[in-house]
Amino acid sequence: MRKIKKPSIVCLLFLGCVFTAHAQKDSAKSNFSISGTMGISYEYYGLSRKPTGWTGFTPRKPWNQLRFVFSPNMQFGKNFSLPFNFNFAMKPTNYAGPYAGINKQSFGQFITNPMNSFGLNPKYKWAELQLGTQYLNYSNLSTGDIGVFGAGVDLRPGTYVLKFFTGLSQQGINYFNGPPTVNGAYKRKNWMMSIGKVKEGKYEAAVNFVKAKDDSNSVTTPPVSVKPQEGFTMSFAGKAFFNKGWYVNAEVAQSLYTKNLQNPEDSSKPSFKPFIEGHTSTVKDYAAEGAVGKKGQNFDIGAKLKYIGAGFQTPGYPFMLPDRVDYMLNTRFNAVKDKNGGYKMNVVASVGQRINNVSNTTLKAKQFIGTLNWFTQFNEHWNLNVSFNNFGFETPSGINPYGIKNVSNDFGLNPSVTWGNDKVIHLMSLNYNYSKYTERDVITAIITSNNTHTAMLTYVPTFLMKSISPDFSLLYFYNSVPGFKLTLITFSAGVSMQAAKKKMNLRAQLQYHYSKTGSFKNNNNIIATLSDDWKISDRITWNIYIGTNHFKYGNEIVPNNASYLESNVRTGFLYRFGK
Amino acid sequence: MKKIFLIVTFALVAKTSTAQFNTQLVVIPNPPGALADWDNKTLTYLVSGGIGLTAQVIVKATIKTVDGEVVATKNLAKAPIIIAGSTNLILYVNDVMPLPIMIFNGKYKSSMDKSGKLPAGSYQLCVQLVNPTDYRIMSEEKCRIFNLASYQLPIPVMPASETILDLEKAQSVITFRWTPVTPNTGMMLTYRVTVFEILPGQTAMQALRSNQPLLAKDIVGTTQYIWQPQLGMTQCCTGDPDFDLRMKKDTTRKTINPDLEPDVLVRADTDVDAYAFIWTIQTFDSQRRPFGDGNVNGDGISEPNVFFVDRRPAAMRRSGPPARSTNLTGKKN
Repeated sequence: MRKIKKPSIVCLLFLGCVFTAHAQKDSAKSNFSISGTMGISYEYYGLSRKPTGWTGFTPRKPWNQLRFVFSPNMQFGKNFSLPFNFNFAMKPTNYAGPYAGINKQSFGQFITNPMNSFGLNPKYKWAELQLGTQYLNYSNLSTGDIGVFGAGVDLRPGTYVLKFFTGLSQQGINYFNGPPTVNGAYKRKNWMMSIGKVKEGKYEAAVNFVKAKDDSNSVTTPPVSVKPQEGFTMSFAGKAFFNKGWYVNAEVAQSLYTKNLQNPEDSSKPSFKPFIEGHTSTVKDYAAEGAVGKKGQNFDIGAKLKYIGAGFQTPGYPFMLPDRVDYMLNTRFNAVKDKNGGYKMNVVASVGQRINNVSNTTLKAKQFIGTLNWFTQFNEHWNLNVSFNNFGFETPSGINPYGIKNVSNDFGLNPSVTWGNDKVIHLMSLNYNYSKYTERDVITAIITSNNTHTAMLTYVPTFLMKSISPDFSLLYFYNSVPGFKLTLITFSAGVSMQAAKKKMNLRAQLQYHYSKTGSFKNNNNIIATLSDDWKISDRITWNIYIGTNHFKYGNEIVPNNASYLESNVRTGFLYRFGK
Repeated sequence: MKKIFLIVTFALVAKTSTAQFNTQLVVIPNPPGALADWDNKTLTYLVSGGIGLTAQVIVKATIKTVDGEVVATKNLAKAPIIIAGSTNLILYVNDVMPLPIMIFNGKYKSSMDKSGKLPAGSYQLCVQLVNPTDYRIMSEEKCRIFNLASYQLPIPVMPASETILDLEKAQSVITFRWTPVTPNTGMMLTYRVTVFEILPGQTAMQALRSNQPLLAKDIVGTTQYIWQPQLGMTQCCTGDPDFDLRMKKDTTRKTINPDLEPDVLVRADTDVDAYAFIWTIQTFDSQRRPFGDGNVNGDGISEPNVFFVDRRPAAMRRSGPPARSTNLTGKKN
């Protein structure tokens, strides 16, 4: 009965809003238009390995997969729209998360499997009804990463905003030892709500509430690695925009999270009744983020700060790393005007730090992040791009004689030149990158230096009078650490051309990779691809992709001279609605 | 008869009052930081008595720092009564120190309320049996030292979040780097580098939770992996009429900033102008179990990064980032 009631309440709320909105003066014409796409695609994947029985290379895709897309947007007059988003595949391929390992899905699992979306969002003026699968992003600290199958509304009368959504983010899935192992999951119900006020280009403010609760009785063989959980997060988020491109935004949030609902309730533990009752494993913590800056046509500057408490956990961002502080300063500017009024120089840079394990003074780990990209156009033909990235990570020694210290430095240099005439334009680009990555051993303090040189030369002639466009590139990659050396050389040639009165775009590409590890015999790899986009009519496009990848090892693995051949065929029809 | 009964009763009382059980306490030296994650393998308490000895007992447990400061005590009034006898009795964490009846003191309580963990450091757990009525000692106190460290999962570093790689380089080699689990666990951890393609129409998290990975490579002992993708990635957009027109109009490539030349080099505004990938690290302990101290998902998966491979021809890339790199991260508000 409860299951029937909730969507009914949401529907009534929506219909009420529709009638309210309709009662307002409506001078719209009752035209109908439709846009969007629908399509079907099929993908075949094949893998053969030699010698027979060798399993050193595992399949990377399902053998056969069929995908459907149905996403038209129907517009009835000026005020009513009906967008669909149906996107689903026939074969489950889940690897991470609770659905991993399932071969045969129940209907409920199919509907809520994250690989499928069934969404419908009818909208009348400021009232939107949200049905089916929705990936809703309320804010950075409340919810944004989780798809929920259910029903809700997004109402925006005037400058006010009211959002509410409820549904399931996962079905109950029984644990199965396998093979293949099914990790299993408890059925999780979600509720989310946001109340706020927005004035376009001036300010935004909202209070957000997010709750998720697992159903302990939803499985007969419970998952091994997790217990039924419950989480409740509330946040206040605000943004303000000022003259000359200045802006400021901030959010503060509090979370209560129970890792094990099977533990007894505990009045001494944090709770926020009636939304969440404290259990033995309930924790409460805070998070905050803020940013301030200025955006302009030729100059941007901004500073960001984010703090996530050690026990902060929100159901809407299940992979969020807690117990950290990040801060970052970014800038972008253009300099040195050219004769056309443009700029010859563009610089993008950022510097910042991330501190992990903030709550433990003795275990704080610091990560320095610095990036620079500097582009200069010297004249009509020559330009140069210089980049530098630094990531440094260091921890205190703790129980070891030395702490972890990893430092990554990358320096890149990319000059390009173009020249040509009325018939052909030549582009030649050289890209050199030096990367040094050092790791300190926590016992001996010996520093292992991992050096990489990458050089790539690209040549692209563009024939202005012909419909054929070739391109060539040569890459040399050399990586060395004590006792290990990897050399990689790649030659790639491609050609694109148009056919069938420019309705068909064909592209063929051939790549050869030579790789050699230490003193072992080299490996050889050839990849060939052919693709075609054919515009059969104004509305229908037919895509074909055929690719093959043959890799033959030297003697670096056992059995020697092992090889594999991957083949991949993708084809699909896409229909565009509307004019 | 009455005398004999009194003597027997006296003898029994005397025997019981001095009854001592033999006990053994085993606590692993580096248990999980989240006390709620302690399981039967973390703590074992073995009780055995002499022949014919049977008594009701409760288990007294105290957590202290190595300096002797009391961190938590067990509420003995709520402790369950156990009948111990001559046969060996094995008790586990929920019998010895059930969290609902452990009383934490001062800063340790606030730490437990915030994160479910005690501050990192060395502690000792002291356990003994006592009589349920007057808490008289029934066994020798056994103490074991353990170290709590608040482990943090790796952070994917390179490719950094929302990095855009050139197609020509990415089709040959992509280097992944991440931070190790901190602090050092002292055991050999396995880092599994996983890469998933984000298919058109998918969100990044949808791809992570539903797709088959293009790469799932186990790495031991280092925090870098050089991947040769062999994906047959191809260029796009050469048939884009706007692009061809621009090439004819403009024989020079100018700046990378779209703001500077809005009319000359406009990006191909499609969702196929870049491949999109999400990558993360899944950490396993030395017994191949997902590693995660307090990780609510229980799968050892770190917060992932998204990166893109720009499919547009080299000349076109100067016009700004591919449309997909800006559209994908713009989730519905």
